[in-house]
Amino acid sequence: MDILKSIYEVSWFILLIAAGVAALEGYFYSHFKFYARPWFFPAALSVFPALALAVFGTLLGGYSFKLWLYFLLAEAAIAAFFRFAVKGRHTVPYLLLAPAFVGLALLLVYPFVFEVYLSFHDLKLTTIMMWKNTGTLPFVGISQYIKVFTTSPLSEITFWALLGRTLVWTFSNVFFHVLGGFLLALMLNNHIRFKGVYRTLLVIPWAMPQVVAVLAMRGEFHSQNGFVNIIIAKLLAVFPFLAHLGVAPVQWLSDYPLLTCTLINIWLGIPFMMVVILGGLQSISSSYYDAADIDGASYSQKLRFITLPLVRPVMMPAVTLGTVWTFNNINVIYLVTGQSGGTEQADILVSALYKAAFTYNRYSYSAAFAIVVFAMLFFFSVFYLKSFDAAKDER
Amino acid sequence: MATVQFKGIVKKFGDNLVLNGVDVDIKDHEFVVIVGPSGCGKTTLLRMLAGLEEVTDGEIFIDNLLVNELHPSKREIAMVFQDYALYPHMTVEENMNFALRLRKMAKTEILSRVTEAANILQLGKFLKRMPKQLSGGQRQRVAIGRAIVRKPKVFLFDEPLSNLDAKLREEMRVEIAKLYQRLNATIIYVTHDQVEAMTLAGRIVIMNHGIVQQVGSPIEVYRKPVNLFVAGFIGSPTMNFLSGRLSIADGVAVFSNESLTLPIPAFVLPQKEAADGREVVLGIRPDDVMVERPGGEKCSGKIDGVLEVCELLGHRENLYLKVGGQRLLATVEAFFNRSPGSAVSLCFNYQNMHVFDKTTERRISE
Repeated sequence: MDILKSIYEVSWFILLIAAGVAALEGYFYSHFKFYARPWFFPAALSVFPALALAVFGTLLGGYSFKLWLYFLLAEAAIAAFFRFAVKGRHTVPYLLLAPAFVGLALLLVYPFVFEVYLSFHDLKLTTIMMWKNTGTLPFVGISQYIKVFTTSPLSEITFWALLGRTLVWTFSNVFFHVLGGFLLALMLNNHIRFKGVYRTLLVIPWAMPQVVAVLAMRGEFHSQNGFVNIIIAKLLAVFPFLAHLGVAPVQWLSDYPLLTCTLINIWLGIPFMMVVILGGLQSISSSYYDAADIDGASYSQKLRFITLPLVRPVMMPAVTLGTVWTFNNINVIYLVTGQSGGTEQADILVSALYKAAFTYNRYSYSAAFAIVVFAMLFFFSVFYLKSFDAAKDER
Repeated sequence: MATVQFKGIVKKFGDNLVLNGVDVDIKDHEFVVIVGPSGCGKTTLLRMLAGLEEVTDGEIFIDNLLVNELHPSKREIAMVFQDYALYPHMTVEENMNFALRLRKMAKTEILSRVTEAANILQLGKFLKRMPKQLSGGQRQRVAIGRAIVRKPKVFLFDEPLSNLDAKLREEMRVEIAKLYQRLNATIIYVTHDQVEAMTLAGRIVIMNHGIVQQVGSPIEVYRKPVNLFVAGFIGSPTMNFLSGRLSIADGVAVFSNESLTLPIPAFVLPQKEAADGREVVLGIRPDDVMVERPGGEKCSGKIDGVLEVCELLGHRENLYLKVGGQRLLATVEAFFNRSPGSAVSLCFNYQNMHVFDKTTERRISE
């Protein structure tokens, strides 16, 4: 009977969403239909804010003048948009796009606007009750942004040291992702037996949930029971001279946390690059290699003059994505070092940001911090894609 | 410049026999066109000469040097590919001098060779462009230029015109003919287009099913096809084939089938080949079917037929005729003012009649 109950509940949920979409479409449709009528503005400005206030007020458990004002302003903007910009044209495209657009607005735009709002105010453990009781927060201007660059998000390390560590982390990770991915893709691009098997095995770290993969690897770096140290110990037993070179089992997680995170993340990130580059390699026509053979190019010359330039167009977007993902990679750092009073030696910008917000409860400071990180990545991506476009136009 | 010899070339892809004992001798400065239908192994043969495919069995010589195991770049050949294979990230100039740069040739020498080739091919103003900024014909010229700058012993062309539209193809065909006169090189040219083969070749190699069917000058393969395949493949529109049986009456061979009976004079079919009851196929080109014209002394007697369809091509006209149950195509001067369905009389020109044995498919006429 439990299953019937679940189905019943899920059906209600689906119906609720359908009703929401229908209400949304009705709302937009009325704007398309009546935008030219003389009573359009008065009707829209009275009916919709009142309706919205009734619904939202009930849900939120209280009415307020401020809330109503927001609805009124929003409705005025939407009504003006329909009256003067849309003018009843392109009804169907707009109606089809509306649910996705509203969903995106709720999930992306609203949190972003709220974050900007937070970053100019002061929400922290000491002011959170004030915010709950009065709904207002002290406005502090850009002082949160100044604090981002002058104070430490954690107990000791500065923003600039964190930034440097993040850049090193990002560069080393992406470098080895591309290098490893490229080498593996080159090998897989040959006519070898069991290619599908190798490819499947190689893609596993990427295909399985990152949390599982990271926690499994974290166990392998355990000083006593992890396979890394066990293999080092066995190697030392077989080749004693290695000890003179400084090879010895170490406390990976406590003494080399950033290195451990880097190794794990390299292992995690290679498959993506491999798949992308393999796709690029397979799209290169074999006649280029025939022509290069006749021209007398050696293997390394073919790699340098043909493979690399022709793989570049697929590699550049992947490198951009990989850079952003690595720069923002909280999973690996947090899962390896972050739990139960872990070390701060491996923290990069985003993991420090997470700790500042949810360990040290400095919400507004974290909001400003997040916007700074966002700005850095935004400008990096724009610059990178622009330069890539410019390089493409030259051809 | 160089000679090229194929000796007993065999190529297998797995169990699939692609070439089965190819022997061809190509002389110095010769323009040889290898022609055949798709899948006959002609491109494979060229790629083996270039060193891009392994030789399963047999020997390839360039200038009397066995090249079976030689790396493509050491064979002193240059190849023009069907899809041009221009490196898309290099300019025209870089494409043309890529091989020379790899050889670490002196800059001045590279420049003079590229300039020379660009002058021959009128590519001077495109040298700084990227391949994708060029039209199909220009790309084709760049691909040829890339071959010229290397001053190879042998030029290989792999269906170079098949990606061009009809008009451009004709222009480039003339360009290649001019280029051959200018370079005076050994050229091996693969195509499936028999018009290219007829117009360009000094000698034609006709291949089918991995076997060389006939080697000869264009006029030889047109006038004296050695078997049914060559007779059907060369010439456009295709030759008319009439199957039937020979009989001997009063010492004269007579061809007959359900639709028509035709004496075959001795100057067409030698006495020793004319056996009573032999199954044969007559081949007559559409040009040699004369409709409503007084036949000369070397023509057959009048045969009655029916005009089924006329196709006006401009200066010529294709007539689809029916003699009894036998369909025939005749090509005549325009305008043949008869409506479809009308009765016509026709005769065959004995001088260009071919007789093939039906079972061996080999030519038995003179």
